[in-house]
Amino acid sequence: MFLPKEGNNMRILRIFLLHVQHIFEYRSRSLIWFFISLLNPLMLLLFWKGAILQNNGAGTTLPYITSYYLLLVVAGAFLTAHVEEDVSEIDIHEGHLSQYLIRPFSYFWFKFFEEIPYRLLQGLYGVIVCAIFFSFFGQLFVFVTDPFQLFLCVIITLLAYFLSFYFKMVLGILAFWIQDIRGLYQVIEIVMLIFAGFLVPLELLPPAVSHLSFIMPFAYMIYFPVVSFQGKLPLDTMLHVIELQCLWLVLFVAIYQIMWRKGIQKFTAAGQ
Amino acid sequence: MKTISVRDLKKYYKIYEKEPGFLGSVKSLIYRNYHVSKAVDNISFEIEEGELVGFIGPNGAGKTTTLKCLSGLLYPTSGDVSVLNYKPFERDHKFLRQIALVMGQKNQLWWDLPAIESFALNKEIYQIPSKKYASVLEELSTLLEVKDVLQVQVRKLSLGQRMKCELIAALLHTPRVLFLDEPTIGLDVVMQKKLRDFIKEYNTEYNSTILLTSHYMDDVKELCRRVIIIDHGRILYDGSLDEIVIKYAPYKLITVILHKKVERAQLQKLGKIVDYSMPKVTLSVPREESNHVAAKLLEKFPVKDLNIEEPDIEGIIRDVFAKGGK
Repeated sequence: MFLPKEGNNMRILRIFLLHVQHIFEYRSRSLIWFFISLLNPLMLLLFWKGAILQNNGAGTTLPYITSYYLLLVVAGAFLTAHVEEDVSEIDIHEGHLSQYLIRPFSYFWFKFFEEIPYRLLQGLYGVIVCAIFFSFFGQLFVFVTDPFQLFLCVIITLLAYFLSFYFKMVLGILAFWIQDIRGLYQVIEIVMLIFAGFLVPLELLPPAVSHLSFIMPFAYMIYFPVVSFQGKLPLDTMLHVIELQCLWLVLFVAIYQIMWRKGIQKFTAAGQ
Repeated sequence: MKTISVRDLKKYYKIYEKEPGFLGSVKSLIYRNYHVSKAVDNISFEIEEGELVGFIGPNGAGKTTTLKCLSGLLYPTSGDVSVLNYKPFERDHKFLRQIALVMGQKNQLWWDLPAIESFALNKEIYQIPSKKYASVLEELSTLLEVKDVLQVQVRKLSLGQRMKCELIAALLHTPRVLFLDEPTIGLDVVMQKKLRDFIKEYNTEYNSTILLTSHYMDDVKELCRRVIIIDHGRILYDGSLDEIVIKYAPYKLITVILHKKVERAQLQKLGKIVDYSMPKVTLSVPREESNHVAAKLLEKFPVKDLNIEEPDIEGIIRDVFAKGGK
């Protein structure tokens, strides 16, 4: 289930291109969503800047915290899949899933390749923001320099995306059993804000909470890609992160597969 | 060869019933009352290759549920379903490449892009060779007269044009089995006729097996020799459209236009008066006596014109529903 069974480059390319065309139709919407996601890290960055200047460091440094939040903007845009509401509301509850099931291509991979153009565009906005910042305040930017470490960063990022995507798909297909699922999504979003490192770098949380966050899967979706790109992780820690990401991924794939097989039997194709 | 085979198919849903009002909502927090809705209840039928069968019934009869079970969207509660020797719910890709399901007004086309983009996607999804794709697209778009709108955003097309493009999207891979659920719904009569002609032509040219549901009896009358009538999830009738008339309407209608007024009582001796609006009178008479009664009318009454007709098919089917197929 890690790659499409009938992997056909043209099919994937066509799904991808169709969605690229689609986001071009709604280019301003995509930009607005990016600006909304930009607000939170920039506000926090300002807060930390004040805290560091007034409290003699506050346990961290300005270059570290600046690059953390800027890389967080890119990671949040690139790596946070937003498929769960489409899957639950449009596909399952409104019955649009029928249009996918009737065609000879896996639903999961359909959604996967549909999502990528949106992530790439949002990520590109993030990279532009980082590049602008770097051109003005390059000295405040901490970034990995070793080529092998950079290679591992890419692996961690790819695994993070797969993890995030599988997790969101699992949340989406919960709609086979739960009628109104938006409340649960709100809760998950709050949990992710804290434990994925969206609010505060996880090592700055109280020790118990910090420890808890490393046991949960969310850190491996956002936090670790960010800190690895900062060059903050030693080589052996990076390898350990990759191991744990693989373990979480296997678990999510298994959960998704089991839920899909059970859930699809409950699908009513209502309204379609 | 049996293309579709359905044996003892059941599809039941568990439905939650909420009592009305605020108190009902509070009660539902603790206890919920469920009941089982039998959308399809133990139906069996078989369809041969190349047959065009009409599936008719009132709203909620179980037509669409059956089509969804046959196309693999729904998991049957029990029973055996086989389409082209595949179990539809397993949704084997080889099976999906040979079928299509078209549901009136529900679309697989991309709303914001021209239809041609969705067709190109289907070309890749169904792995249609480029040559075949080009020729089928040319043929279908010519037949359906939409060649000039393929590059127009789908949202800007009329309902009829959209429906035609939906059909093209569903037929590009030239499916052997086609499930059409209300394909003419919402279309004007001219467009309905065009679509019917197209379906007939497609069935003949590709020898495809077609199962069609429709509320419009004209669709069924014009396209299907065989009909399956379903109500409350059960099959009431399965046979030819001609036989349904003989089985459920053992009478014919004789309409006469008279030169001068004839008393009701005199005509009543010949048959049941259905309409008495001088100078026009319509009588319902047993099928086997219709010629004899017609001859009597011509002989004994001042008849200007006489017409013997089969009863209206919609009326017969209404009778079938009313009698529950008995």
